[in-house]
Amino acid sequence: MVFLLGNNFHELKLVKKALESFYALGPQTSERILAKYSIHPRAKIGTLPPRTITALTAELSSMKIENEAKKVIQDNIKRLRDMGTYRGRRHAMGLPARGQRTRNQTETAKKLNKVERRG
Amino acid sequence: MQATRCLLKSRSVWKGPHIVPLPIVRPEPGKKIAPIRTQARSATILPNFVGLKFQVHNGKVYHDVTITEEMVGHKLGEFSITRKPFMWGKK
Repeated sequence: MVFLLGNNFHELKLVKKALESFYALGPQTSERILAKYSIHPRAKIGTLPPRTITALTAELSSMKIENEAKKVIQDNIKRLRDMGTYRGRRHAMGLPARGQRTRNQTETAKKLNKVERRG
Repeated sequence: MQATRCLLKSRSVWKGPHIVPLPIVRPEPGKKIAPIRTQARSATILPNFVGLKFQVHNGKVYHDVTITEEMVGHKLGEFSITRKPFMWGKK
């Protein structure tokens, strides 16, 4: 097991996939991080030397990922709500905010459009 | 010179923000001015609107909107709802 920013990863997991398991860190950012520390795109996390692991942890802790990234989204929605915009109201009601139909098929909006958004 | 991206909100740069000529009067100190009645819901809120009162049409009535600093870049119509919330059994 390899410890990376408070999470345990199996040694055989790809470094790229391990990085992408963090919220708000996608394929593009993970590719850039791999390039920065000159890690092979298909390298397994078990093959990394401990020095690189600590460097990666330091890099990740300086980025806006996981809860910080979620906080940014929540703040944006809260700002719309406090201003009293149409989009803020639609978020509070859990309905589509960009003019989609509401007769059917609003499952994504029901799941995501909340003032305290989780996902 | 480029217009600020903040006012554009995904409009192309060469167009600039959607500016509608509104009868804006600078209030003299100690005097109150009547709110600006308008039907231009698509008018972009510019930085010089901050602190002014508008009455924005929603198709039926005029809603009072006081412009604050964070509203800059949005449209006037975003603050005046056009839909009636659905209440079951109420007319």
